Amino acid sequence: MEDNEKRTMTLNLTPREMAVLEELAAKKDLSKTGVMRLALRLLQAVDAKIRMGQKMMFEDEKTKEKSEMVLI
Amino acid sequence: MQESRVYLKEMATGQLVEASLLDEITDRHLAMWIDTWQPVMEERCRGRKPGDRPEDHHWDWKLKADGWRPLLGYHSFAITCNGELQGLMLACDFKSARIPAQFGKPIVHVEFLATAPWNRPEFQTPKRYSGAGTVMVAAAVELSWQLGYRGRIGLHSLGDAEEFYRDKCGMTELGNDAAYQGLMYYEMTEKKAEYFRQTH
Repeated sequence: MEDNEKRTMTLNLTPREMAVLEELAAKKDLSKTGVMRLALRLLQAVDAKIRMGQKMMFEDEKTKEKSEMVLI
Repeated sequence: MQESRVYLKEMATGQLVEASLLDEITDRHLAMWIDTWQPVMEERCRGRKPGDRPEDHHWDWKLKADGWRPLLGYHSFAITCNGELQGLMLACDFKSARIPAQFGKPIVHVEFLATAPWNRPEFQTPKRYSGAGTVMVAAAVELSWQLGYRGRIGLHSLGDAEEFYRDKCGMTELGNDAAYQGLMYYEMTEKKAEYFRQTH
């Protein structure tokens, strides 16, 4: 399938999930569909890194304290 | 794969010549890189100290391709002209802006951008073509628009390219980034991106 061919799917979200999606769409200046697509691309990239044996770390800019985000 | 007509300046004649911008680095482009670009780069590096070599001499585009090809969030571009490879770029679309006015919003981040050795003044005078870097930055801005990011882009620049991004592209300099080998980080705002689109 070519990338410009698109398939439609229905996504059922709880009110809380929808609220988060709407909040993220506003913060990121994207449509709700744009947020879902971004989330998919990001998750795939993170998953690929973790499968290669890498870790996802967050660093506090002020304290330099690092924490690892563990994904399933 | 989409092909767009773009123009480069042929430095020997001063004329604009037609070139192709492709939104995918294919096996054919990688073969061109191996056969034509890499030997020139290796010849340039021979006998030179590491600090005197081109900053991107170690970029292995074939190796990189294996990593980015399966991933939806990575976008590769190639420019060809007169049957030769003139530039390569890899960008990703899930990083966040740092400029306060657009902080946290998604940007297209240019991971790697290189113009062919024969298009660099340190390799030959006059260089063969000019404009490949500008075409690639314009492609990154266009990708940002297509994704709904309003033209926002960012990148970490090698030292020799800082002037180009700052002065020719109008990107905002945001300081050296310790997380990126201390490279200078640049970002283009939505407003600057709009201006860049209108003028390039």
